[in-house]
Amino acid sequence: MIKALLSLTLGLAMSAVSHAHHSSAMFDKSKVMEVTATVTEFQWTNPHVWIEITVTSDDGAEEAWSIEGLGPNGLFRNGWRPDSFKAGDRIEIRFYPMHDGSNAGGFVGARFSDGRVLGSWN
Amino acid sequence: MRPSGGSWGIISVIEAGPVVQMRLIPIFLFLACTSLVEAQGLPDWTGVWQRVEGNGGMFDVSTTTPPDGFAGTPGARQHPPLTEAWEAKYQANLALVAAGRLADPISRCGTPAGFPRLLALPDVYEFIVRPEQTWILTENGPNIMRIYTDGRKHPPPGEIWPTFTGDSVGRWLGDTLEFTTIGMIGAEQTVLDRSGMVLSHEARIATRMYLTDDGLLRAELTIEDRLALTEPWHVVRHFSRLPEGSRAYDYACAENNRNPITDAGQTLTLDVEGKVIDKVIQHD
Repeated sequence: MIKALLSLTLGLAMSAVSHAHHSSAMFDKSKVMEVTATVTEFQWTNPHVWIEITVTSDDGAEEAWSIEGLGPNGLFRNGWRPDSFKAGDRIEIRFYPMHDGSNAGGFVGARFSDGRVLGSWN
Repeated sequence: MRPSGGSWGIISVIEAGPVVQMRLIPIFLFLACTSLVEAQGLPDWTGVWQRVEGNGGMFDVSTTTPPDGFAGTPGARQHPPLTEAWEAKYQANLALVAAGRLADPISRCGTPAGFPRLLALPDVYEFIVRPEQTWILTENGPNIMRIYTDGRKHPPPGEIWPTFTGDSVGRWLGDTLEFTTIGMIGAEQTVLDRSGMVLSHEARIATRMYLTDDGLLRAELTIEDRLALTEPWHVVRHFSRLPEGSRAYDYACAENNRNPITDAGQTLTLDVEGKVIDKVIQHD
């Protein structure tokens, strides 16, 4: 379920999207969306990792979202691993939403049910 | 009874057979190269490095406005001594950035960053020093830059053509690598960063690289470009060494590129099945 739409300062995770292999113009970096989701797939691939999730919308429908992270090499050096996300993981995840409202976003942070955090979660 | 010390090791290798000996060849070569480099008094640039200046890869951080401006963020730019015509080119690209439609060549996967942009990339670097040549390897891309220090000159006209990294020749002055680079492809197929800064194919760059007292690898560039610049443009970039044992990895941009770029310069996003997610597709 979509829990919140937070207004955060640009500096929060600016660096996260500035190292992408492409422009981050599609993301609205003035906002951070937070949802509770179930991981369906984690793509540990270049040039970006992808966290595929399903989210229950406000009307109860299941929606598929694609959350884009940075490249695996830099993430590995920052503690990520190829199995950091597993299908079936229940997570809270924050991301920059797309300007056009489509079901994708730029990863900001994730919190697992055991309290473990990846990325920024302040 | 086995002998002790160094001879034990030699005899062990001899007794180990050809398979083990073959596996040891790279180690012997590495030790030989290392000794040769040390014998020539060349500096230790081994290990894995990363850029110090950030700003999203903005090439000249010292003239960037606003000072914390990120390349690719609307309103952020650097201020080289551009001619009027090339300032107009930069302004046109800055307008594309503001519209979210600057097509970064490297985003297409397979197009090199080129020089000098390759000194401002994310991810890590390796600097391979040999007496006759130095290689700059960038994980991001990846990119390879070759700098010849064996006394050769730039190729004569007719034997050089525009390429992404151009032609680099130079020399060692003590612990400082000095080299010049010409023959870069310029604005035809490269940008210096995601703000859309471009130089011409007439650019000529003199670079000095050396270790600072605090262990940073410093690159000082003097960029001349009779078409794009009114005077030499001085840019400094630094690299810091990552902890010993750090690794560089494959980059393989085309492995799973889910962000194709349209002819209009828009970066799209694909879902897990390869279908376009974007609800709005821009057109010229």
